[in-house]
Amino acid sequence: MKRLILAAAVVFVGAPFAVAQDAPTGAEPSRVVGAPRGKALDGDALAARTEDVAGLLRCPVCQGLSVADSPATMAVNMKGQVKELLARGYDQEQILAYFENSYGEFVRLEPPLRGVNWLVWLGPVLALAAGGVIVAWTLRARRRAGSVEPEAPLPGPDTLPDDPKLARHVRRVRELAYGWPDGRPPGTSA
Amino acid sequence: MKLNARVLVAGLAVVAPLVVVLVMNLGRDPHVIGSPLVGRVAPGFTLRPLDGGEPVTLASLRGRPVVLNFWATWCVPCFQEHPLLVSAARSLGDRVRFIGVIYEDSEEQVRGFLARQGAAYPSLVDPGSRTAIAFGVFGVPETYFIDAEGKIAAKHIGPLDEPSLEAKLRQAGLSP
Repeated sequence: MKRLILAAAVVFVGAPFAVAQDAPTGAEPSRVVGAPRGKALDGDALAARTEDVAGLLRCPVCQGLSVADSPATMAVNMKGQVKELLARGYDQEQILAYFENSYGEFVRLEPPLRGVNWLVWLGPVLALAAGGVIVAWTLRARRRAGSVEPEAPLPGPDTLPDDPKLARHVRRVRELAYGWPDGRPPGTSA
Repeated sequence: MKLNARVLVAGLAVVAPLVVVLVMNLGRDPHVIGSPLVGRVAPGFTLRPLDGGEPVTLASLRGRPVVLNFWATWCVPCFQEHPLLVSAARSLGDRVRFIGVIYEDSEEQVRGFLARQGAAYPSLVDPGSRTAIAFGVFGVPETYFIDAEGKIAAKHIGPLDEPSLEAKLRQAGLSP
């Protein structure tokens, strides 16, 4: 009997409380991302924006496809919700945040600029800058080291190595390759 | 020689973090994506039961743990876990509310399936997968364990087995 009374009390006291807390996340967008911040869209503008925003959402059941690009039922349903939210005046960021609330950051195809994600956006720029600095340093160090050693002139076609044994082989190879051993056809001169 | 040592250090500076990241994530299943909803109040819903009757609201189920199972008849793992869910629902009786949410399936298919395989709890119709999307469902089966206060205590991806069902029911506040 005591338990029954207690249960009844819970039901009566808890009922309005429970109703007030219905749909606290997910189901009703305004509870997740607040009142619409944009202009309610319709017609061609609505269709175009739907494609744009759906293109920024990752289809959860696909491999690396956006909601706009996927024919999966899930993606079609999500795109329908994007359209509905745009028609109700929610802006792009609110819509992305709404889906992020359920799926996590994963659902955004472009990682937002926050936390570790800054590395993704700034990393390449930083790496390029660092590379430039290294190249500049190296060049300056070389210039400061003074004259770059003059490079040895490339051997001409008829020069021979000083080593007589090697020279003999070079002449032999020339003869085999061109038919003459002196680096130029017989009868011509340098 | 001095240059070689420098190159070695620079190379290590590039490769070492990559190796660390790789090793740290080797044991991770890339298909398991944590749900941001775990630990938060579950998205509310009002859905029509397949077999008629009053629409079910999540808020009306407060006061005891809820097992919310997203499933479909075309999903083989759902078929595998169905007997476990039915027997658990029968044996736990009033202590836990079991609810199925039908995911991308036709009502006739589900009716036929439940007539053949048995049913012990209501399955709700989810038009446009709105509830599935609000819960962040990636695929079926996915099961959410909601505690008596309406918070999502745990999520299970894939077919349930007895140990994980028991463990997650406990997380949702069911005393053994």
